[in-house]
Amino acid sequence: MFSTGFKYFLGVTVVSIAALIMSLFVLDQLAIAGVAISMLITVTALLAGIATATHDGQTTTSTPDSSGELATQSIWPLVSGVGVVLLALGLVTSSIVFFAGLIVLLGALVEWMVQSWSERASKDTNYNALARKRLLNPIEFPILAALGLGVVIYSFSRIMLTVNKTTGASLFIIFGALVLVGGVLFAIKPNMKRSIGVAICVLGALGIVAGGVASAVSGEREELVEAAAEGHFTHAECGPEASKYFDKLAEGTLSLRSSVSAIVVYQDGELIANIQGLVKPQKTLTIGRSIPTNIVFRNATEGEFRLVAHLGDKVADESTDGETHKNETCTQLVAPGAEQSLTLKISKPSSAKNAYYLYIAGAEDKKIELVVP
Amino acid sequence: MSRRQFDNWLRATIASVRVVLRKVFKPLVVVAGVSVVVAGCATNAPQDTWQPKGPNSKLIDDLQQPVFAVAGIIGLIVAVAVIYTMIKYRDRGQPIPEQIHGKPALEITLTVIPALILAVVSVFTFGAIFKLAKTDDTQMIINVTGQQWWWEYDYPAQNEFGITQPIITSGQLVMPVGTKVLLRETSRDVIHSYWIPALNGKRDAVPGRVHTLRLEADKPGIYAGQCTEFCGLSHANMRMEAVALSKEDFAKWVANQQAPYVAPAKETLAQQGEEVFLNQCVRCHQVNGLMRADGTPAIAAPDENVWSGAAPNLSHLMSRNTFAGAMFDLLSKQCRDEVWNAPSEVVGAKYLAGVTEECLNQKDLRAWLRNAPEVKPMYANPADLAVSNGKYRGMPYLALSEDDITKLVAYLITLK
Repeated sequence: MFSTGFKYFLGVTVVSIAALIMSLFVLDQLAIAGVAISMLITVTALLAGIATATHDGQTTTSTPDSSGELATQSIWPLVSGVGVVLLALGLVTSSIVFFAGLIVLLGALVEWMVQSWSERASKDTNYNALARKRLLNPIEFPILAALGLGVVIYSFSRIMLTVNKTTGASLFIIFGALVLVGGVLFAIKPNMKRSIGVAICVLGALGIVAGGVASAVSGEREELVEAAAEGHFTHAECGPEASKYFDKLAEGTLSLRSSVSAIVVYQDGELIANIQGLVKPQKTLTIGRSIPTNIVFRNATEGEFRLVAHLGDKVADESTDGETHKNETCTQLVAPGAEQSLTLKISKPSSAKNAYYLYIAGAEDKKIELVVP
Repeated sequence: MSRRQFDNWLRATIASVRVVLRKVFKPLVVVAGVSVVVAGCATNAPQDTWQPKGPNSKLIDDLQQPVFAVAGIIGLIVAVAVIYTMIKYRDRGQPIPEQIHGKPALEITLTVIPALILAVVSVFTFGAIFKLAKTDDTQMIINVTGQQWWWEYDYPAQNEFGITQPIITSGQLVMPVGTKVLLRETSRDVIHSYWIPALNGKRDAVPGRVHTLRLEADKPGIYAGQCTEFCGLSHANMRMEAVALSKEDFAKWVANQQAPYVAPAKETLAQQGEEVFLNQCVRCHQVNGLMRADGTPAIAAPDENVWSGAAPNLSHLMSRNTFAGAMFDLLSKQCRDEVWNAPSEVVGAKYLAGVTEECLNQKDLRAWLRNAPEVKPMYANPADLAVSNGKYRGMPYLALSEDDITKLVAYLITLK
């Protein structure tokens, strides 16, 4: 009388109703949750009705065969439980935990499903285990290998961040040479004991991981710490001179090319803004209040120049007697013919003329007024 | 009730429901079908996509009409064939017929014909897309910014239209007819989508990017639109209207928008309202030219109170017909109908008349000032603002007294 589909959807409906009732007590604002759960109830109730009306679309009934074999012990229910807990925990803590839970849960469910299936394949336990391996090992091994390699590579990267450049290059050479030697060894000694090969690989990996841990504890080399302190994207001194770290490795290419607010070009001693929709080059640029605005600076001269955005004067703290200093942000020194983007966000309107403007470092008369209405 | 009795009761109930469903199913299908057909006859449908009012929307319409006709005919043929097959060959217990495979000529024909149709459609589609993406013939640009849940328009200085200083407004986009207007869209918070169906298709407004959309209206009139990218709690209330004015009327509108601020007369209710505004509203809302008691300009600081960093600029508020993201009318229903239903020759004059005291929709405006989150869903409950560092998304409840509301309304009506 009651089809499987009907029971399933009825069960979901009942659980959803319970969830709706619970949410009435737990949630302050029921608007979205209430609508969502009500829709779920409606849909599952409708599906339950359809399932029973159509007898799950079955015209004949059949009873599934049973192998009669008892299931072996399995770790996957436990792992699934851990996944569910991480999932729930992630909902209230962080998305990383949530996705970790999701991965653990999905992985465990796949393992559990295949194990259950394989245990019913035959009455021969060994054959069943083989069936499971044939299905899952091609997936498990690459994943485990990738995870192991990931740990080794990450550890190696920590080592590279700690040692100086020369040592780093040497380590790379040594590491590459060792891999080559190991490969040659395995090639010329095909009958070498498997355990020896495993031992070499494991010891090597452990050595790198141990080195990585030690490097992580020791911290990054001073040069990198200084560069990070200076800031890769913000630079306090937007002068014409080159900065030790900020201007290092200024890239001549730019991924942001379309949908920008304006392309600011420095050419023939003039600074102009090309704005899509306006035919003539502009000397003023209107940008919205509190809107992240991307500008591309194109250096069409023969020298290296930096575009600076003057964003008003900032009043310093009381210790400097209210002295003001410039509030500026800038690009790196841009090579001839190269481009770089600059993102601005201005929250106050430009009530006074020339409150905000763009200019070329070292040539303050080359400017474009920024109008913030 | 025993388990057997419960089972019997449940079975009987399900059987009854099934009988009822069988009886009402056909009438329900008929009613639903008729409703859908009748809905197509609606006359008050300002967002009808099949009534283009400008060259850009006509370009889309000229493309979609034949495509719809071809697709409709094909869809009809397929539907009839499927229904015919379902009925004629339905399962009546007969043996399964012989299964055949491989009719190369038929399969190639059925692949080539749709491919050819799609190829032809794609040629015209790409042509239309490129025409709609043109920007080099632009005559006027307007910056459009989406924010939860309203649209801001700022007009950069464009001397040829008399715009000598930036104009900033919200809710209603005002543009001259017969002018190729380029909207430069962006967003302050999440992705929105700008769509005035009578004038062009949709275009997403994405934070950090500037997307362009061409608009041009053939005749003066008011054209309704709607945000079409789900953007949060009040997405459905994020509306907009494009007001197309004759060039003469547009010049008048520009002149009015650039007119200096006129403070209310002393010792009036409106002046008291200005004080309330300075105490409460100016934290977020800018009125250009408004001065504090000490003679300094009142500069709003919405970035300190609002998550997205801005609130509508209320200069010349009463020159608009809507407020709160065009969710509410500033005009009473009768006055609004007079503007919306006016012939195109006089719609400009009616619109430029703005909101008079007699036409002001006091009911909705007072309700908004009394408790904005109650009439428009917003993230404005102080208890729930931990995720936004205590900043609001939308207008909060300000606990204004009825007396203050009366003063504020008296002040706002002066912002012509």
